Amino acid sequence: MKAVSAERKVELVALREPAPAAGEERPALRRIGRLRWGLAAGGVLLVIVASAVFAPWIAPHDPLAVNIRHRLAVPAWMEGGTAAHFLGTDQVGRDLLSRMIFGGRVSLVVGVAAVLLSSSIGVLLGLGAGYFGRRTDWTIMTGVNVMLTFPFVLLALAVIAVLGPSLVNMIIVLGVAGWPIYARVVRAETMAIREREFVLAGRALGMSHLRIVFRQIVPNLTSAIVVIATLQVAQVIILESFLSFLGLGIQPPTPAWGNMLGEGRVYMLNSWWIATFPGLAIFVTTLMINLMGNALRDWLDPHMKL
Amino acid sequence: MGRVVASGSALLLALALVAPAEVPAQTKEDTVVYAIQSDMQNWDPPNSVLRESIILGYHVFDHLAARDVKTGKVGPGLAVSWRNVDDTTWEVKLRQNVKFHDGSRFTAGDVKATFDRVLNPENKLTARGNHTKIKGVEVVDDYTVRFKTDGPYPLFVERLSALVMQSEKAIKEKGHEWMQENPVGTGPYRLLKWSKKQEHLLVRNDDYWGPKPAFKYVRVRIIPEQATQIAELMSGGVDVIKAVPPDQMDVINKSGAARTSTSPILRTAFLQLDQAGRTGKNPFQDKRVRQAANLAVDIDSIIKHVLNGLGDRTATTINPMAFGFDPSVKPYKQDAAAAKKLLADAGYPSGFEVGFLTTAPIVEPALPQTSEAISADLAKVGIRTKKRYVGEVGPYVNLVRDGKADPMFEWSWGYYSIFDADAILYDVMRCNEPYSYYCNQALDDLIIQGRSTLDQKKRAEIYTRIQKLVYEDAAYLFKWGLRGVWGISNRIEYEAPRDEIDRMFLVTARKK
Amino acid sequence: MRSYISRQLVQLVVVVLGISLLAFVILHVLGDPVLLLLPQNAGKEEFERYRHLLGLDRPLYVQYWKFLSGAVIGDFGKSWYADTPAFRLVIERMPPTIYLTLAGLLVALLIALPLGILAALKRHSWVDSLCTAVAVAGQAAPLFWLGIMLIIVFAVRLRMLPASGYGTWRHFLLPSFCLGAALAPITMRLVRSGVIEVMNMEFIKTARAKGVAEPMVVVKHAFRNACIPVITVLGLQFGQLLGGAIITETVFAWPGVATLTVESIRNQDFPVVQCAVILLALVIVVVNLAVDIVVAVIDPRIRTGA
Repeated sequence: MKAVSAERKVELVALREPAPAAGEERPALRRIGRLRWGLAAGGVLLVIVASAVFAPWIAPHDPLAVNIRHRLAVPAWMEGGTAAHFLGTDQVGRDLLSRMIFGGRVSLVVGVAAVLLSSSIGVLLGLGAGYFGRRTDWTIMTGVNVMLTFPFVLLALAVIAVLGPSLVNMIIVLGVAGWPIYARVVRAETMAIREREFVLAGRALGMSHLRIVFRQIVPNLTSAIVVIATLQVAQVIILESFLSFLGLGIQPPTPAWGNMLGEGRVYMLNSWWIATFPGLAIFVTTLMINLMGNALRDWLDPHMKL
Repeated sequence: MGRVVASGSALLLALALVAPAEVPAQTKEDTVVYAIQSDMQNWDPPNSVLRESIILGYHVFDHLAARDVKTGKVGPGLAVSWRNVDDTTWEVKLRQNVKFHDGSRFTAGDVKATFDRVLNPENKLTARGNHTKIKGVEVVDDYTVRFKTDGPYPLFVERLSALVMQSEKAIKEKGHEWMQENPVGTGPYRLLKWSKKQEHLLVRNDDYWGPKPAFKYVRVRIIPEQATQIAELMSGGVDVIKAVPPDQMDVINKSGAARTSTSPILRTAFLQLDQAGRTGKNPFQDKRVRQAANLAVDIDSIIKHVLNGLGDRTATTINPMAFGFDPSVKPYKQDAAAAKKLLADAGYPSGFEVGFLTTAPIVEPALPQTSEAISADLAKVGIRTKKRYVGEVGPYVNLVRDGKADPMFEWSWGYYSIFDADAILYDVMRCNEPYSYYCNQALDDLIIQGRSTLDQKKRAEIYTRIQKLVYEDAAYLFKWGLRGVWGISNRIEYEAPRDEIDRMFLVTARKK
Repeated sequence: MRSYISRQLVQLVVVVLGISLLAFVILHVLGDPVLLLLPQNAGKEEFERYRHLLGLDRPLYVQYWKFLSGAVIGDFGKSWYADTPAFRLVIERMPPTIYLTLAGLLVALLIALPLGILAALKRHSWVDSLCTAVAVAGQAAPLFWLGIMLIIVFAVRLRMLPASGYGTWRHFLLPSFCLGAALAPITMRLVRSGVIEVMNMEFIKTARAKGVAEPMVVVKHAFRNACIPVITVLGLQFGQLLGGAIITETVFAWPGVATLTVESIRNQDFPVVQCAVILLALVIVVVNLAVDIVVAVIDPRIRTGA
């Protein structure tokens, strides 16, 4: 599997800031700079998450309330806009701001749930592969290769085709499709740690496999898992919005940023706000998650282990 | 490994052939580009209910009678004259010196072969229902045909404009399968190339018996997304698009590259309610529930605000432009309280949940928005709809045909461009018709009566009775007659067609 | 070298088999084709008859064998919607997808290479920060949103390019730019990391010490060595590239395999979905293999397992 190690090496190189050479200035300061961005991003993210959680209280209108007399109303700052509908209304008169806030709920729920699912599956399988080695390892890694070879998107599409679009199905699909990444990293780390002294000591003392795995190995993995999971949430959100955009995800009238973009697409040339704001929401949320994830990685694991 | 080699070589071969080398280069000046949202499944018009089939059929085939676009009256086509020999026999004289695209002469034999094929129940052609009143077709001589009808048949001439004449040679020698992809007609264009789900290329028939089309090529592009169609129209990639959503009309008109043109069309929209129980037991089998549904929705408001006024309210499924329409039958007036009471009487005091099958806005513009508005009104009286979406027309129509729709679903009907109430009643409101989810023996009897007499006054009376019955029984959830909105490029002269049939062979370039 | 290639080939076969199994499981076990083909009120005997006709009453492994043996000779069954062989439909639509993917790759490289090198050379300067910032932002932007924006600006407003479709070189510009721009951020970071790492290596310092001019150092030594990780990851990213192509195709109505798959999913036309999934997997795996071989040829360390 030599090609695997080459590719892994490249992944390490690619996604990390390379170690400073001797004589390079101020690496520590650079780290702190990154962390500052991460904190700021985290702050913004907190606001987004809070608005999603407290949606029923802070949304000015019912996101499902159809009012065709006020359809296609412009945002408040434009001519003809009213404060009642700060971001305007959509094609059947529903308040856009309220729909955006509730749409955030869907995106975040799907993101977090799917990532919880894929990390659980991935970590367990990665532990199994790394710890028990040989045949278990080979089976699981082949599974990883099979799934990694394949574009996430197509896999998700194919499964949704069969199961039908719904919130639960999306979480299942996105969750199950995302485990390989965790498995791969966890496996590598497990294999490294497995040979360390304290583990060997544990075996000598007669500790059961389960205890070794969960008491000694897993704690060393948490930072890696947290970082990957954070970055994955962003990817899942984008994927979910694409599926909803295609009509294969969350179905209207339930607001989701993706399906709002899809419905608003035909209005881009006149009532542009219907699609633009959800698009912006996806962009900002994803950006914040990426920034925070990068900063987390720098902070938790500055030594290229990931 | 074999698969790798096989697929690999196939892939290489495909890559090598990718350039559309067989198709002649068309220039912008000699090509008019027409966009449709959904591809047809075959090039055999009697075997399809899709509007695209009918429209493209007009380009490659001819009919015995043809509607004059300006006057709306049906006049000669491939037939030059007709008369009643007696109450149940019509004699038709055919045009001479007409050639099919394969060079063979058009004669009475082709007419007989076409009708025989359509009327044969074993062939299961969808057009059959339109022509069941014709019992037999007789060849008198090369250019004279006699039709025997099952009783008096007032719609005979109208219906002659709805069946394309196909080549006897193709029917007898090549067979059904071949005809699905290879149309042999007498029309102003012939099919040069069909890239499934992408485009059709038609080339002018220079031996055409009628007026020569101005454009040598017609490119029919299949563009499923409305947003893309509009973008293409405004950027010059397409010359004619149809079913423009009312909301986008101002964008097109302001663009300077294109304009919109509207016309009332025969197409009538409504929601079918499964009174016949084809999808199983459901609340709509009770008349009170159906009436409640009609009372719950403020249709006038939807037409005004969502369609920007581009719709003509109908009390039943009969279009104001069709013969038999009676304006004295007034539509349901919205009354949510009365609706709730009816539901309570029927045993649903807290309402009920019901499946609602919907589709993409392919023939009905603004369908998603009007659907939402209707669902919202229904929900207010307790009818909670659960939407099921099937985006492609073909599968949607098949689901309906096979009885696999939901108890409530979107439907519209173009009347086959026949301006007569019978054109919708027979196929969409009779018992056991594939596209009908309503069954009422009294209505069936009236429908048969309506198509069995040649006395127009008597027919009008019958259709008034039908409308009263259909209204009172709230057979479906009635909506409106559509107003078609076309988007037309400013480089061509073209107007919205009243019969919803785009005729690219009438398009001319605009003088600068 | 031979053993390396044969090992890779074995892996290829295993992966493709794995994917075919996955596709089979998804479509046969999770969905019920008969339910979709027959009308609801068809009697029980009809169901049984169809089941027998389609061979669905045989045990699963028999069905899988039948499916596999058919697939090997290119027989994936007939499309349920269009009544033509699924294989033919998919193969016909392959070339546009492949061309788009390659064009997107080209654009990504055109953007990422110069920027990545620039950022690497001017590391820690404002140029570097800007490039990185743009890259992070670029990774967050949803691809389909970008596509829609491009169509509006270039096709509708400026009327410079066609809004959709396939045919001339003009039709390639917007979609490949969209796809390339989506892939450029991560590519740029790869290039940057690769160049930085290489620049810090011993042989560069040797070259400098020997008095070789700086531009020569960059081009001749650093760049060529940095290519290795970049090529490897790009090759491995081919799967992701294809995923991006799927989204791009949908927005631009590109007549490729992706739009065919999405349509077939909407129509529940399973033979076509199955065929498309497997053939795409095959393409990805073959490309991965080719990249592996190329890299092995260039980098002797991998071959001999250093």
